[in-house]
Amino acid sequence: MKRLRKKGLPALGLVLFLAACSGGGDPKPAASGGSSEPASSPSASESGQAALPEVKLTWYYGVAQVPPDQQLIEDEVNKIVKSKINATVKLKPIDFGSYTTKLNTASAAGEEYDLVWTANWAFNYDENVKKGAFLPLDQLLDQYAPEAKKAIPDFTWDATRYKGEIYAVPNYQTVTSHYGVNVIKEYADKYGLDVNAVKKFEDLEPFFEKIKQNEPGIIPFMLVGPLTKFQPIAYGYDDYGVKIGDASYKSNALEQSSEYKQFAEMMHRWFEKGYINEDASTVKQIDASYNGKFAVSIEYAMKPGYEAEIESKNGGRKIVGIPLADVTTNRTSNITTLTAISRTSKNPERAMMLIELVNKDRELYNLLSFGLEGKHYEKLDENTVRVNPAGGYTAPNWVFGNVFNGYLIEGQAPDTWEVTRKLNESAVVQPTFGFNFDDTAVKAEAANIAALKAEYEPLLLTGTVDPAEYLPDYLNKLKKAGSDKVQAELQKQLDAWVAEKKQQ
Amino acid sequence: MNAATTSLSNRKGNIVIHLFFVLLSVAIIAPFLLIVSVSLTDEKALAEHGYSFIPARFSVLAYEFILQSPGVLLRAYGNTIFITIAGTLLSLLLTSMIAYVISRRDYKWRVQLTVYIFFTMLFSGGLVPFYILMTQYLHLKDSLWAIILPGMLSPFYVLIMKGFMGKIPYELIESTKVDGASEWRIFFMMILPLSTPALTTLGLFIAFNYWNEWFNALLFIDNDKLVPLQLLLVRIMNTLDFLRNNSQYIQSLGLDMSQLPGESMRMALVILVAGPMMFIFPFFQKYFVQGMTVGSLKG
Repeated sequence: MKRLRKKGLPALGLVLFLAACSGGGDPKPAASGGSSEPASSPSASESGQAALPEVKLTWYYGVAQVPPDQQLIEDEVNKIVKSKINATVKLKPIDFGSYTTKLNTASAAGEEYDLVWTANWAFNYDENVKKGAFLPLDQLLDQYAPEAKKAIPDFTWDATRYKGEIYAVPNYQTVTSHYGVNVIKEYADKYGLDVNAVKKFEDLEPFFEKIKQNEPGIIPFMLVGPLTKFQPIAYGYDDYGVKIGDASYKSNALEQSSEYKQFAEMMHRWFEKGYINEDASTVKQIDASYNGKFAVSIEYAMKPGYEAEIESKNGGRKIVGIPLADVTTNRTSNITTLTAISRTSKNPERAMMLIELVNKDRELYNLLSFGLEGKHYEKLDENTVRVNPAGGYTAPNWVFGNVFNGYLIEGQAPDTWEVTRKLNESAVVQPTFGFNFDDTAVKAEAANIAALKAEYEPLLLTGTVDPAEYLPDYLNKLKKAGSDKVQAELQKQLDAWVAEKKQQ
Repeated sequence: MNAATTSLSNRKGNIVIHLFFVLLSVAIIAPFLLIVSVSLTDEKALAEHGYSFIPARFSVLAYEFILQSPGVLLRAYGNTIFITIAGTLLSLLLTSMIAYVISRRDYKWRVQLTVYIFFTMLFSGGLVPFYILMTQYLHLKDSLWAIILPGMLSPFYVLIMKGFMGKIPYELIESTKVDGASEWRIFFMMILPLSTPALTTLGLFIAFNYWNEWFNALLFIDNDKLVPLQLLLVRIMNTLDFLRNNSQYIQSLGLDMSQLPGESMRMALVILVAGPMMFIFPFFQKYFVQGMTVGSLKG
């Protein structure tokens, strides 16, 4: 007995160690190891679908604030879930501020849970896929969630693939990004800005000048440092620096391009002339003090009806959106909200059934998103609701599932979903869509470059510093940090990806 | 003549000192007044004019909104008070017990035990093993013990306590023993009363740690009924910061920011959270100061 214990302890240690390390190495063994046990159960439950054994599921997702009526909603949700798939689900809403810390720890510790919300901006999807935190879903999807799968276009599914496998179900919504500027309507009208004639930034210069001269206290061009980016798509590049239409898929370092230089120079010229707010490089968010006190700002996601949404954030001033690039879709905008199944899930097939149910059953979806009718919202017509902010339940509808199944919020046009869906399907799909750069081979260099970018880009791209002096300095430092090596690695992976794609 | 100049330079010195402290007080009080003012300002006025010491448009809506359902706040207060009192008492008991043992000259393993305690000060298991231990072995998720237990023993405090107790003459313990006291009696009737200065000092530090604790709560508390005060604040602040820093995504997702507490509501919450403590603190302050000075004279 004693000897056994002595042997057992190191073995246990080893198991723990392996479990902790499974993130570092090849994720596949860990992932398939987790699924090997339940993999046998789908076939068993398939034969006796009618007599599904009762299971308990746990579902982590992010919310802005945990609502007071959470328990009430959970009980209502369970009535539906119990009757349809004989399961109960424990809803675990976590505030976005704690979400990443909390879920990273829980996931690293191998905590048992079933469904988990993930994204590229919180509890990072790619990182966790590489760590082996999620189960591969292709088989489960085909078997248990055919309708959820059908409702989402193929390219969105492709965005979730890692080494060919799907690891999460997208919560389908707007997947396009549309770059442009917002102009406060009042000023556009007053100074006769021809909105339709503006095709690029330069066209706005006369307008800035008029604002500067005639509207004291108003910032002609309001920039937010860390958010101000050189948008490749507006200059004919895609996000990996491939010229659109280039069949050889040669990736260019955007910082070295002439367009980048011209952009920085233009911004600097405007900064010197006082068109841009002086704290542009550091200010983090359209701060309260800027609300409505600017004429033009940059917009990264112009989607149908967004002007109405944004109005309240601009001190109630109406805005006009001017697009400066094509509507496009890239991998990033397709993975902004996803639901994955944890590697530690004991019932992955039931978890998948729940995903299908949330995506299919409008009643369940609307219950999760809006709460109870009469208490948490009022129906204005068949598809539009007015949310009662003091009702005790609010949740972001896009963390649960396909938003096209849900109600519209008061003020949204009745055809919002159709327009959005059409836009999604007609967007320019970037040539490198689906390609995902894996920086493990050049991790140190990539980290250094990211640090340099965070330091220099806000300064250069808001025009705060003179590019004649700082741009060569920046490029020089990038080179020293190993940008060539990263670029070579990127090209290598890109070539491999293109070759693989051609075979298909 | 001579006396007059000294009194004049004295007065000058006094003025400088007074001025310094007046400025210091202003620097401390002004931000707080700003918070009070912002919490009483109309949200729309804040958006238009920014922060100011005198509310552009007066409004108590933020307080009304929070106090509409004061349950959350009161419960958070209750949790924090329970955690602080229970945690401090248990922690003091445990700390003094261990410190006493390793301070006894006649204890055979005192050096090894001291080294062992010291060792934990330098090396820790890390976050993930800690989380595994707490959730999968001790099953402390969603329990206030998850906040109390990890803070109960700090090696640093044990060593301070040991330093203090080491100064108590061993002969005292010996003579008590000769008089027929048991080990328990010696500890509770002799050592603890003699260590009051050290106990009050450490008790103050420990109580502050518990009062300000939020990270363990963030990790282990999901149940809204068990959320302590500081976590309530941290959640709101973190979430707002997080959403602001990721606004490019939020905008494309169309999250309605009006769901979030506005500026004035955040400030009102700060006041409601910090307020009672600030009124209580001056009454306790003299004891704190006493405890600290006595503790520092131990050498």
